[in-house]
Amino acid sequence: MPNILIIDDDPDLLGVCTVGLQALGHTVLTADTGREGLSDVAIRVPEVVVLDLGLPDVDGLEVCKQIRSWSDVPIVVLSADGSEDRKVEALDDGADDYMTKPFSMRELDARLRVALRHRGTVDGSVTELDAGRLHLDLVHREASFDGAAIDLTPKEFDFLTFLARNAGRVCTRRMILENVWGPAYVRELHYLKVYAYRIRRKLGDESGRFLQSDPSVGYRLSAGD
Amino acid sequence: MKRLIGTVAALASMGALTSAMLPLRAHLSIATTALILVVPVVIGVVTGGFVAGVVSVAVGFLVYDFFFIPPYLTLWVGAPQNWVALGVYVIVMLPVAKVVAGMNEARANERRHSKEIRQLFELSDLLVGDKPLDVLLSVIVTTLADVFGSRQVALLLPQNGRPQIVASAGDPLSDEQLSLVLPSRGSPTVADAESFERGGLLVLALSAAGRPVGLLVLSSETAAQHEREPLLLFANQIALAVERAQLREEALRAQLTEEVARLSRTLVAAVSHDLRAPLASIRASSSTLSDTDLDLSPEDRQKLTSLIDAQAGRLANLVQSLLDMSRIQAGVLEPRRSVLPLEELVTSVVNDLTPAARGHSVDVLLADDLPPIDVDLVLITRVLANLLENAFRHGPKNTVVTIRAARLDEETIELSVEDAGPGVSPDRRNEIFGLFMRRDGDAGAGLGLAIAKTFVEAHGERIWVEDAPAGGARFCLTLPVAAPILEEARIAEHSDH
Repeated sequence: MPNILIIDDDPDLLGVCTVGLQALGHTVLTADTGREGLSDVAIRVPEVVVLDLGLPDVDGLEVCKQIRSWSDVPIVVLSADGSEDRKVEALDDGADDYMTKPFSMRELDARLRVALRHRGTVDGSVTELDAGRLHLDLVHREASFDGAAIDLTPKEFDFLTFLARNAGRVCTRRMILENVWGPAYVRELHYLKVYAYRIRRKLGDESGRFLQSDPSVGYRLSAGD
Repeated sequence: MKRLIGTVAALASMGALTSAMLPLRAHLSIATTALILVVPVVIGVVTGGFVAGVVSVAVGFLVYDFFFIPPYLTLWVGAPQNWVALGVYVIVMLPVAKVVAGMNEARANERRHSKEIRQLFELSDLLVGDKPLDVLLSVIVTTLADVFGSRQVALLLPQNGRPQIVASAGDPLSDEQLSLVLPSRGSPTVADAESFERGGLLVLALSAAGRPVGLLVLSSETAAQHEREPLLLFANQIALAVERAQLREEALRAQLTEEVARLSRTLVAAVSHDLRAPLASIRASSSTLSDTDLDLSPEDRQKLTSLIDAQAGRLANLVQSLLDMSRIQAGVLEPRRSVLPLEELVTSVVNDLTPAARGHSVDVLLADDLPPIDVDLVLITRVLANLLENAFRHGPKNTVVTIRAARLDEETIELSVEDAGPGVSPDRRNEIFGLFMRRDGDAGAGLGLAIAKTFVEAHGERIWVEDAPAGGARFCLTLPVAAPILEEARIAEHSDH
């Protein structure tokens, strides 16, 4: 079974990614148009999809939406134009993560592994969460960082819980606001800055290495250390 | 002047009639003579107005008395009935002169009035038309100077918070006059009065919908009282027209600013996309090669290395093209023309692009015995390469891209690149050559076509896109034929003219 499907119109990039990802132990399948990509997702059932947003035939966002309408295969979108709006839109439309071209093969590999790991692990019955140095007890609503208990307000706890459930993955500002504060709050972007700032201070993470900002996209918890 | 002419005409006709009647005076009754002497008076009034009429009456009185009332050639009036005749002549003629003159004046007034109305009407017509603000302002002042015969007309609008003269006709306002007209401080208009008169100037405040717009200043000596009213009414129309023109210019400016901002955003996006695509392959390859933990076969290693090389070349080419394009647009770079065979150029471009590796094949159909062309080899090579890359991109895999060339006329060869893609819809055919044309989500033509257009036009040639007969897009361009004979023919042609 093919492991990874890459949909991109640049044959050179497809060639490199095939060589690189195979060397990293994946099986790679490629498609150079949106239509071909869509049928490959359906027929060859990849475990994760890498999707370029700038395709010649179908808009990448449209491909993303269509895949999402009948499959929950993880999708990592590639954006080359640096326009934040489109990748955020893709994430809100159900993509799991994004990468901006150019990227290194290790970065792509890391993103793919996170996406693969998360699929199927989102489970309502989880009572405890671990994300790197952070431990969350969802039943008693207690948090500890490097073993030391930290005192969080309810919203700060919810914010961290949401990011921890998606550790390693980027969460868009819209996703966080909708899930932590509710659908009526999706425009209150300044909440996020304030809460991220407070949480970082409580964790002693002022530099933002653990609770990372993806400028104009959202936040992610570092999955490593 | 008119008065003098009238008087002269009256006196001349009087002289003529008198000399005609003199031989007959024994046979004419005194009353008949008086009736005939009415004629010069009427002539005087009609041509010279009331004063000329009075002069003719006075002269007529003397002539009548002197020549026609006995005793002749004296002012002595003999019989009492002669006094009656003279008296009747004067008493009748003065009112006649008065009435005729009055009628004349009324007609002249009416004529002037209707002329004014016509001019005002024309002016309001001008105000309604869509004109740039500066044109509108100068039309207003010149027409007002014309209609009201003002020696000075000036229109003041607030600029940087101070009213400034933006248009004037006739003599310019002196600084002294200006300081009389302007409100002493701050406020751009006369707050409480619609109009006032000061120092020989009539000042009208222009306001539209209660908002002050500016000031209209006319020298007041010519604008008679009865003309003030249409002038005031007119001030309103002017104010509205000026405000409308100002608003329109503001809207245009805002639109322009927005357009420029949008274009620069798309330009940055296009450049960053076209630079990032090769960079993405390079980074992916180099990061794989430098990762010592990875076990790569020698073939893979070779593949990645040569890909880095090719992509770095592509990047260098793109940067060079962008530089050349901006140099051409700035007028710094001229094509360095040389004479070369088209076939050679086409073959080398096609071989460099390795179509087979991209899943395409290329058919080259060049007409036999094409003459050599006279172009900048580097620039036209990039044009053809860009068109081919565009065709590979838009033509589905395993389709053929066809390059054709044929002689169009004595001086030009038409070269075309045809793909089997979806084609270009007619409404986008001009835009796709624009620097900024990229639909959202379409990595699109990027900069390639814009670069091609700039380079082709730098040669004074044309590039366009049309439907290929079999569907798909056909990009065409003209290339100049290089032929020394042609040069001579051109010179001969020029000397003929």
